[in-house]
Parts: sequence; C-alpha cells; structure tokens
Amino acid sequence: MSASAETLAFLRDVRVFEGFSDPDLAAVADRLRERELRKRQVLFREGDPGDEMFIVRRGTILISKAVTGKVEQVLVRVEPADFFGEMSLFDGSPRSATAQAETDVALLILERESLQAMTETAPRAAAAFFYEMVQVFMERLRRSTQQVAEATRWGLEATGLDVEAR
Amino acid sequence: MEQPAPAKFELLVRHDDGEDFELRQVASVVGYLNSRPRRVDPESFEISELRSRVAVTPGFILKNTTTDRFLLLSAHERFLWDQMDGTTSLQGIATAYVLEYGEFDFDIIPNLLRKLQRAQLLTFEPRSRLRQALARNRGRFSVKAIERALTGLERVRIASRNVHPFFQRLYRYGGFVLFTPAAIVACAGLALVGAGAAVALWREMHDVIEGFGGRALLGLLTVKLLFFGSMALHQLVHGLACIHYRRRVREFGFTFLHGFVPTFYVDITDIFMASRRARVVAAVTGALVHLVLGAVGFIVAAHAPVGRFTQAFAAASGIIQWQALVIALYPFCFIEMDGYHVLVDVLGVPTLKHDALTYVKRLLTGAGRVRLGREEALWLGYVVLSTLSVAAFIAFNIWIIARAMS
Repeated sequence: MSASAETLAFLRDVRVFEGFSDPDLAAVADRLRERELRKRQVLFREGDPGDEMFIVRRGTILISKAVTGKVEQVLVRVEPADFFGEMSLFDGSPRSATAQAETDVALLILERESLQAMTETAPRAAAAFFYEMVQVFMERLRRSTQQVAEATRWGLEATGLDVEAR
Repeated sequence: MEQPAPAKFELLVRHDDGEDFELRQVASVVGYLNSRPRRVDPESFEISELRSRVAVTPGFILKNTTTDRFLLLSAHERFLWDQMDGTTSLQGIATAYVLEYGEFDFDIIPNLLRKLQRAQLLTFEPRSRLRQALARNRGRFSVKAIERALTGLERVRIASRNVHPFFQRLYRYGGFVLFTPAAIVACAGLALVGAGAAVALWREMHDVIEGFGGRALLGLLTVKLLFFGSMALHQLVHGLACIHYRRRVREFGFTFLHGFVPTFYVDITDIFMASRRARVVAAVTGALVHLVLGAVGFIVAAHAPVGRFTQAFAAASGIIQWQALVIALYPFCFIEMDGYHVLVDVLGVPTLKHDALTYVKRLLTGAGRVRLGREEALWLGYVVLSTLSVAAFIAFNIWIIARAMS
C-alpha cells in the first residue's frame, strides 16, 4: 500500500527526511507504521526494550525521566514533525526515558529493519538521514548540557548555598 | 546586571494507576522558601552581646568554636539566628520577622544566610523531627513500614495555586456578607440560641447519646465526615477574609500534615502585608465557622425526636464543633492555631511557644536560673496555662465519655 500524499507532505517537514528525493521519501513512507495513542497513554517506559523511532504526526508527547518515587522530570515535549526514541533505533538499548501522550497523538514508526533496508536500497537518502540525525544529536547534547546547568542553578537558588565564598 | 528568572523544573507526578499524572512547575523560589536552616549545635558556637556607648541598639558577636571564626550580628540578625532551629522554614522566619519588627527587609535574610554559611554556622534541614527519628530507627520493620506509609501519605497533596480568582468570585457572589455587622449579630444570636439548646440537652445527655444505639460506628464516621467538611469551610472563610482585606490568596488544597493528619489548608500569608486588625479578623472568622455549625447542631438536636439517631448525630456534631472552636481560638494549648497567632500578634512575641518551652526546659534541667522579668513571666504563664488547659481538656473528654457510658 503506498503512502498518501498527505503523509508525504508531512514527511517533507520532518527534518531527517529533508534531503530525500521524492522516490526515496515515498519508499520510506511505505515502510512507516502508524499508531494512535489516547491522551495520557504510555508509549514506553524507561528501561523497556525498543528498536524503533517515533515521529509525532499529531499531538504532543512528553518525555520524562524518573527522579524519585512517582516524580519524573519532564525532559522535553515532542511536537508534530519532531521525533524521539532514536537511540534505541541505533543501538537497541533499553529506553532511557518514558514517553507518554500529553494529548491524543498520532505517530509514525520507523523500525530498525526499515532503516537497514533504506541503507541498502537508497544509500544517498540514508546518508542524508544520518547527517541530519547527527545534527539533531548535537543540538540535543547542547540542550542536555544546558539542562544540567539549569538543574545546578535550581539547586543553588533553592538552598541559597553560597559557593562564591571560599 | 539583569538577574535571570528563577530556575524551574517541570516535574511529572504520577498517580497510582501508573498512567495518569499531573504536571507541576517547581521554581527554585519555592524550594528556597520551604528550606529550613539549622544553626550548628550549641557546643559549636558562642554568642555574646556587644554593648556600645555610641550605638543605640546592641550588636552581637557570634563565634564558631570549631573554626574560630567570628561574625558581627545586628539585633535583627540575632533575632533571625534564633529562629534558625531547623524546624522553621524560611517563609516562617520571614513571617516572624515581620511580626517582630513590623517591616520587612528583603535583603537581610539572604545576606545573613550567606554570612552564616561562610562561617560554617548553618546547615539546611529538610525533614521534620518525626521523620528524623524514624530514619534513625529504619532498621526495625515496623518503623520502616510507618516511614513508607508516611511517605505515601505525604505525597497526597491536592492543591491549586490559581485560586485567587475563585475566592474573589466567592466573595463577590455572597462571601462579603460574612464581614458585615449583620453577620456578627446573626452569629452572636445563633451562638446564644445554640448555647441555650446545649444547656437543655445537657440535662438529658444520656438519652441523647442513646440515639446512636447499635450504630456507634456509623455515628462516629458521619460526625467525623461532617467535621472534616467543616475544616474545608474553615479554610474557605480564612481565604474570604484575605480577599476582604484586598490581599492575595496564594494556595488552597488538601494534604496530610506530617504524613498522617488529613487537613485542608489555605495560604493567606499575604495578609501579613495588611493591618493587625486584618490579621486578627482573618484568624478569628475561620474559627467562627465551628461556632455557627456547633450552634446549628445543638438547635437541631434540641428539636429532633428524643433518643433518635438524628438527635445524637446533631448533638455529637455540636460538641465536636464547639470543641474545635475552643481549640482553634484558645491560645494556651501548645498548638499554634488561630488563637495562638492572634495572641503572639497582639503581644508582639512571634516565637512565644518556642521561647517559653526553651526557658522552661532550661529551668527543669537546671541549666537556667529563675529570673522573673516580664518576658520570663510571660513564658512561665504560657507553659503553666497550656499544661493546665490540656490536662483539663483531656479530663473533660474522659468525663464526657464516662458519663455517656454509665
């Protein structure tokens, strides 16, 4: 079954597919699975196995990491045309955070097998995909570093700790 | 240089079912206000007054005996230092400061904290004494179970910080009536009629209590439930009083105090920016809810068929509501309720209980000498009156139960 024009138009806005030719994009689109989540439904939890990446088509996904007891820190909100879960796509490691629908959500799923097939059948598209993915990784690394600094600032402000003193 | 906005964490608090959750933004400011600075142990510091012929107010020298560092404290800083006992939050300390000096200096507390931290004279205490005692005995299974239960209950907190518009509407659509002379007259009238009904019921108390018959458990549960609802009403009226004096209601919610006392609460700390009269009215009006409900209970009981469940329920509710009124307004019972806050506000001694208990403890352990100045008399009076009052309260309740069972 070939992907709809609507899906193709949506994928054009997804950053990792920006460098794809129309035939390559259509080929990828055919391999994507669709999934819907109701509001508050958990997609996966921290520690769950996984080997797929998710692209948000509609709605918002909350990515959170356990802090203590039932409290989790919200790391990021994933909006339409953005993606998450890519770490498990590459190394098959357990999920590093929990993903849960903040609203009703529609997702597109890219599985590891589909990525491998793309690498073999459309190497130029795969290269463009990996290049964009590296760019995104770097941005997210910068954001994580900023979050660590912000968490440290929170702690200092909350305790009034004076670290300038010797 | 422009200061950055306070840092915030967005936290997801998961409910028991595992899927449902709520999102909370916790600013570092909230953490700061709730932190509890604790001065080092008494063996680790010395403090002495520095009298000067020039300066009008005395200064104080604070010495860290471990590091041999010295600090000069003003009288205001000395007051703050005395509050830093590890049990009072920074918000509570700031409140005590306003009550003591009638003004607030926004820099004095952070500056003092910095100074004390540099001199290694301060630690921050995040937990209550109960939790510290439990943590020390965590090896015992029962203690661990209690600790877990308390932790679970402490997490139960249903609150909203966006309640001010709600209270404003409540006030506009009828709440303002509570703060009119007509309401005071109605309240007094109801109290008189209720007292008359209570006296009439007292003579036939045995028959009244008989109304519970074999449904004592049902009676207990319904009376408690009504009382619980009245506590919410009590807090709502505090909030309305805050609106009446054009101050902001910061939060309203439900939680388990210390992990085991289910309670509604309202944050009206903004009332401290209003006059003393406003603070007194805000404190007293909440408690008057119990006066009104108790009076209604007695009146209903007086008119209900003798020996029926309705009569017993109404009478028992009346007794509990009026006891709650007394506990809320009577300041001498070691509990810092509305009456206590009015008393310390009027006396201008915000740390009365703390100071009084410290003084008496020193007397009993032989660490202090008996000096009968104005302050010492006040402290002694507070402890003696509170002890006698608590004993009388317990005796009264035992007598009521014994009378009902005989």
